[in-house]
Amino acid sequence: MAAMGVNKAGLGPGLDAGPRHSGSRGMAGAAVKVLECGVCEDVFSLQGDKVPRLLLCGHTVCHDCLTRLPLHGRAVRCPFDRQVTELGDSGVWGLKKNFALLELLERLQNGPAGQCGTTEEAIGQSGESIIRCDEDEAHVASVYCTVCATHLCAECSQLTHSTKTLAKHRRVPLAEKPHEKTMCCQHQVHAIEFVCLEEDCQTSPLMCCVCKEYGKHQGHKHSVLEPEANQIRASILDMAHCIRTFTEEISDYSRKLVGIVQQIEGGEQIVEDGVGMAHTEHAPGTAENARSCVRAYFSDLHETLCRQEEMALSVVDAHVREKLIWLRQQQEDMTILLSQVSTACLHCEKTLQQDDCRVVLAKQEITRLLETLQKQQQQFTELADHIQLDASIPVTFTKDNRVHIGPKMEIRVVTLGLDGAGKTTILFKLKQDEFMQPIPTIGFNVETVEYKNLKFTIWDVGGKHKLRPLWKHYYLNTQAVVFVVDSSHRDRVSEAHSELAKLLTEKELRDALLLIFANKQDVAGALSVEEITEMLSLHKLCCGRSWYIQGCDAQSGMGLYEGLDWLSRQLVAAGVLDVA
Amino acid sequence: MFVQVCLYFYCKCLWRCLKFVVRKLTGRCELQRICYNIKPGASRTMKIETSLRGSKNKLLQTSVSVHPDAIEKTIDDIMELKKINPDINPQLGVSLQACLLQIVGYRNLVAEVEKLRREPYDSENPQHEEMLLKLWKCLKPDCPLEARISKQWCEIGFQGDDPKTDFRGMGLLGLYNLLYFAERDAAVAQQVLSDSLQPKYSYSFAIVGINITDLAYNLLVSGALKTHFYNVAPEAPTLSHFQQTFCYLMHEFHKFWIEEDPLDIMEFNRVREKFHKRILKQLQNPDMALCPHFAASESLINM
Repeated sequence: MAAMGVNKAGLGPGLDAGPRHSGSRGMAGAAVKVLECGVCEDVFSLQGDKVPRLLLCGHTVCHDCLTRLPLHGRAVRCPFDRQVTELGDSGVWGLKKNFALLELLERLQNGPAGQCGTTEEAIGQSGESIIRCDEDEAHVASVYCTVCATHLCAECSQLTHSTKTLAKHRRVPLAEKPHEKTMCCQHQVHAIEFVCLEEDCQTSPLMCCVCKEYGKHQGHKHSVLEPEANQIRASILDMAHCIRTFTEEISDYSRKLVGIVQQIEGGEQIVEDGVGMAHTEHAPGTAENARSCVRAYFSDLHETLCRQEEMALSVVDAHVREKLIWLRQQQEDMTILLSQVSTACLHCEKTLQQDDCRVVLAKQEITRLLETLQKQQQQFTELADHIQLDASIPVTFTKDNRVHIGPKMEIRVVTLGLDGAGKTTILFKLKQDEFMQPIPTIGFNVETVEYKNLKFTIWDVGGKHKLRPLWKHYYLNTQAVVFVVDSSHRDRVSEAHSELAKLLTEKELRDALLLIFANKQDVAGALSVEEITEMLSLHKLCCGRSWYIQGCDAQSGMGLYEGLDWLSRQLVAAGVLDVA
Repeated sequence: MFVQVCLYFYCKCLWRCLKFVVRKLTGRCELQRICYNIKPGASRTMKIETSLRGSKNKLLQTSVSVHPDAIEKTIDDIMELKKINPDINPQLGVSLQACLLQIVGYRNLVAEVEKLRREPYDSENPQHEEMLLKLWKCLKPDCPLEARISKQWCEIGFQGDDPKTDFRGMGLLGLYNLLYFAERDAAVAQQVLSDSLQPKYSYSFAIVGINITDLAYNLLVSGALKTHFYNVAPEAPTLSHFQQTFCYLMHEFHKFWIEEDPLDIMEFNRVREKFHKRILKQLQNPDMALCPHFAASESLINM
């Protein structure tokens, strides 16, 4: 709990900063130690991992510890009072820093400077060390006596230079204090006046006149100290300029980063309404927009699914109702029949017990009765023959989530292609599994082919030039188009391409599946499936629709069922095909 | 059930007993009875054919499939077997021979047609090419063909610019028939062609021709054309008889098509099916002959 106390103390340091570090530098150092994170007990720092961040409840925890806290959804719990703080998209990084604490920390680190008067600020800010008065340690120097070479405060300068002679000493403000001449380390009486320019002497290039003439730099190239120094100064200035622009760039960039973060997170925006009243308005960030997009999409999907489910259920309901009504009807009919039969039976029995005359008289009636009975029996057997008493309700689903009731799902397919491509041959191969050389189709052929639990009604329309405009009569309600291409006929592929392109612009075929049979793969020199894909530019032509190209050979039947497989996979929802 | 048993019994046993009794009564064998009682033509030939096929004698059974050259000898053998004196019944030998020639001829015609159908059109074969070009010349005498592969072929009703692909199912038979029609019956053929080009009845002459060839071929193979050929051909029916029939069917179909007045070419298969049924029905009448009403076939009609 002690940690907590410390933390609490650190909370509002901005308010009572004064009394806490009105001591010496040492005391301030001790105070800095006090400002530590209540969790890891490490000292807070101005930046980096140990930067203090504020939680919603008011507690301050260092960044590092915050990142280690377990997430509850998008929130963290305060380690001290377990209050929940929501995190934004940027997580812990989005929590505000405790600026009051940071300011305090800064002040503590620059400790003593805080107490001194106005002069201190300028010096402190420019980063120079404070020069004390040579007369009194407690004073800060402000002038420099060029003759005595002493730093003095204004007061002491007055005091020490009160005599007539001393008063003549030139005293300048500290800023204008002339630089002291540095003496050569080897020849103590000579000031350094030159700079050696030799490569080897770059570690200690300074020299006095003695060094230059007789010492170690004898005969070396040299230049005068002052211009050399000025030159270096100029270059430093240049560099400083560079650094400034660089800093600007960095801050510019970080400003931009802040802007982007804001754009992503969104936030409050002050907007003026019509009457001029300013009020804040929540501006959604891009993150929120994206999220709402996803939500809208899935809610749409949910809605569609719900609608489809309802529709499918209603179809099943209707089917069940119809079936039940029919069955009940049958049941009733049977009851009636049963009663009729038993009446007849009763009548017969009654007649049996009567005397001979009456029996003879009843003969006609009995024969009539028997006749009707026979008729009824015949009707019954006929009925029982062709209805199947089957309680099962087989259900399949199409890809667009429609329900289909019945053992076979019917699919309407149109086979198109140029003349001589092999449409009719493929049809008859699928139908009767026999290869025959067909005669040119005039008009169309239609056959049904059953495959798995699908029933394909295949319309094979002649490919002759004159017939092509008539193809469109077969498009309506077509779920799939089978386009047959003759792979052995290289020069007709472009014609096929133009027909296919025309076909794909048809409105009625917008949702139809497209299966392309590259027929006659058995012929030597036939184009491969890839070549056909390339030549028909299928990827471009069929962009945005489901299509498939299958190499096949109508003579042996190779590839035909693979094509049908693809069709059924496309038309029936996954996993339903195996339900027989 | 009972009826079926009776029928079976009749076929197996009673029929033979009946034949035996009749033979003893009339003193004539079945073949004689047929030849004397039934007038020549399809009805007689078909009766003879059933009788021969149903016979339990090996010689009679095989007589329907002998080589045409061996027919005379076969007739002599039959006469001998049946103990018929050729001097007393001179007519019988002649009639029987004519019937047998027709029966054997029909079998051979089927084989010949089948062979032609199976022979694919070969553009390397100069003979085939020459026939194709001749077809063009006959149908379009005033308009020269610009190139062997040309859009012009569509004008006479082929599907593409090379007719070769359209002969796939019927092979050379289609080309033979079309050429025969165009050559021997030029006036009608050109009439049909020009009618087919009219937008009102538009269908494609050449591929309709190939379709009708298929129809004629099916009629021939199923045996339905026997009636016609036995009535028309005095002896063995030949390929030209078949081609005659094709011309007739083409002409009839054309008339039928115009009568039906279909909405568009898409009704072709329906019309064709109806036409097929009609022809089949006509051929069930044993006196029926699909007599072409044009000049080229007049000389071939029997009787």
